[in-house]
Amino acid sequence: MKKILLTILLTVVLCSAWYLSASAEDSQGKKLYNGWCAQCHGYDGDAKSYTDKFSVPKPRDFTMGTYKFRSTPSGDPPTDADITKIVRNGNPGTSMPPWTRFTDDEVKAIVAHVKTFAPDIFKDAGKPITIGTPPKASAALIAKGKELFNKAKCVECHGKAGRGNGEKGWQENFKNDWGDPITPANYTHPWELRNGSTVEDIYRTISVGLGGTPMTSYMDSLKDEDRWALAVFIKSLQEQRKLGVAIKIKKTVAIPAKVDDPAWDSVEYMDLPMGGQLMFEPRDFTPLITNVRVRGLYSDKEFAIMVEWSDKKPNNGADGKPADTVWIQFPQKVTEEAEKPYFFMGDKKHPVYLWNWKASDAGKVTEQLAKGYDNVADLPKQDVTVIAGYNDGLYRVVYKRALKTGTKDDFEVLPGKFVPFSIVAFDGQNGESGIKGAVSSWYYLMLEPATPLRVYVFPPLVALCVFVGGLSLSRSLRSKK
Amino acid sequence: MMKIYPIIAAIGLLITVVSVLKKSPFFNFLGLLTLIYGLLKSVGLVTAPFPAQVMTMYMAMSVFSLFIYFSIQESTFEALLEPVRAVLADDNKLILRVLIVFIALPLFAGYLTFDKVKPNYEPPVSARIVHPEPVSSIEFRGKPITIIGLENPLRKDAANMAGNLEAGKKIYYQNCFYCHGDDLDGRGHLALGFNPVPPPFRGTDTIAQLPESFVFWRIAKGWRGLPAGSTPWNSAMPSFEDFLTEDEIWKVTLFIYEATGNKPRS
Repeated sequence: MKKILLTILLTVVLCSAWYLSASAEDSQGKKLYNGWCAQCHGYDGDAKSYTDKFSVPKPRDFTMGTYKFRSTPSGDPPTDADITKIVRNGNPGTSMPPWTRFTDDEVKAIVAHVKTFAPDIFKDAGKPITIGTPPKASAALIAKGKELFNKAKCVECHGKAGRGNGEKGWQENFKNDWGDPITPANYTHPWELRNGSTVEDIYRTISVGLGGTPMTSYMDSLKDEDRWALAVFIKSLQEQRKLGVAIKIKKTVAIPAKVDDPAWDSVEYMDLPMGGQLMFEPRDFTPLITNVRVRGLYSDKEFAIMVEWSDKKPNNGADGKPADTVWIQFPQKVTEEAEKPYFFMGDKKHPVYLWNWKASDAGKVTEQLAKGYDNVADLPKQDVTVIAGYNDGLYRVVYKRALKTGTKDDFEVLPGKFVPFSIVAFDGQNGESGIKGAVSSWYYLMLEPATPLRVYVFPPLVALCVFVGGLSLSRSLRSKK
Repeated sequence: MMKIYPIIAAIGLLITVVSVLKKSPFFNFLGLLTLIYGLLKSVGLVTAPFPAQVMTMYMAMSVFSLFIYFSIQESTFEALLEPVRAVLADDNKLILRVLIVFIALPLFAGYLTFDKVKPNYEPPVSARIVHPEPVSSIEFRGKPITIIGLENPLRKDAANMAGNLEAGKKIYYQNCFYCHGDDLDGRGHLALGFNPVPPPFRGTDTIAQLPESFVFWRIAKGWRGLPAGSTPWNSAMPSFEDFLTEDEIWKVTLFIYEATGNKPRS
């Protein structure tokens, strides 16, 4: 009897020890997942989570086992390396950040746990495609890629300039497998390319497609070299951001009369990364305008500022969605002191001017005075004019005003003086209007004064003096000999 | 880039040693100057580098002292000036004379002058106090709250700790993570749009240095509560009394300490 009891006891102890150790092992992945992934992807991996209504695009639902970003052929599950890559690098342009804090073992445990949400999918391991060495980019290869871009109908969704504004990308039923609306990628913004922005990343996306989306695999329909050519062309469309704190505006004889005047393209610009308006209700947690590009020119009498941004789907207010809108803000009083109005719509003591442009009335701009987000009034005298255009996914709005208006309380723009400005932009398609939009912090613009005469006079003069000095010294020394 | 200065110092030392062996006071002079310049600049590797004005002053003093040193003996001074004289006057140094005296020196002087007279436009820079003095009391939705000495009431509630932490987590991910980051590292997906950039909570520089009452005050009042020295006009930190209750602010405070492994300063 004692023996039997002892055996039972031993078995129970051994079994529970084994059970505990086993669950302890898989609980590391679960613990980390619950701690650092579940807030978005849900404790059950179904993306029903704290952030699901506060993120665009939505966090991935793992229970379907469909993965957008893979290195495996369409229909195959992603490899562990694929999921690891996403955890490590994040998905640019989404709320998925790069998780660099975890050890390799911890990431391995997380990946293992993520796979448990769709165990059937991962029964057979996926086999990654081979990604060879990318060809060297050349004008000929880019031209070939451009031809293929049209031939393979990429242009229909991604648009001629690759800004994701193609006709076909905006059909009513353009949704992913999870039922959420989806938009074609904007190639010109590498900082927003979810699957990475290297030429290999683009090649991989073209080859295997993006699971659960209308972006299909082109593995069979395009030859390997064609996919590389296409990737090289798409890579060539990427623009790099030029960040800074101040934009210097150069003088010109006449400010171009059209928004698409080629003269604008050679004008120095600055990029403003945009945040959301999070301070006042209604707040914008999911702004889609991530970047606004600013440049300017001035003449003897006036100055012009061009504001430029990508918008995949323009809204002029006629389609039931709010009209796309942009404001440029200036402090009412431009002083040398550091103190400024609040960067979003000023405050009671420090009002800001808003130069308010709406796509619903594109030829017009309204000058307003804001003393806070809830206190805005049109100004009696309007001194600003505007020209605006939308072309191939890109908005351009050019504001123009006299350097000095003579209107009471209006700010004067003097060469050499730094004037603070900030931008607020609204994407109607994203339901943005009122005070719900993308905002920038304060930046400066300055009209660069003409080069002073002293720059042309003094350096040659000094050089000449030194030359003459050297010559006479040399002469007198030689004559002494 | 800073690593080049010790190399410059080493080259200066080499020139000095060789010139002493070859008995050339002119190169000795140049070598010592290079050595001094390299050493002074190398200071930037270990501590704050000298400002440009101080550098100019030290270098001028060095040139002056070296001149005095080399002119004590007539013969040394003669030897020091000899290469200069040779380049200026010797028949066989014509090419060197043209290159140095008639081309390089005037160009260099012209460049220095250009550097001095060219207009330089820099936007105004404003200093910002990162940790302002906390206020002694605030009005929270009209209710007076004493900040000094205020403690998180939820810390004593051990029984509901897990639930409060989870509630704090939910509040964090619906109100804070856009800016302060998924990993509480200050790298939220909207962070780049703001200046000043949102501070991280992870690490020992921010909330670990602060009592919870300070954190409560910052969350409750946001940009509106900042003193002028902390540039409230630039801050995108909302006044969360508009969106959250007192209890919710304590919950999220609990969470940001717990999630980063930090303890509030007492």
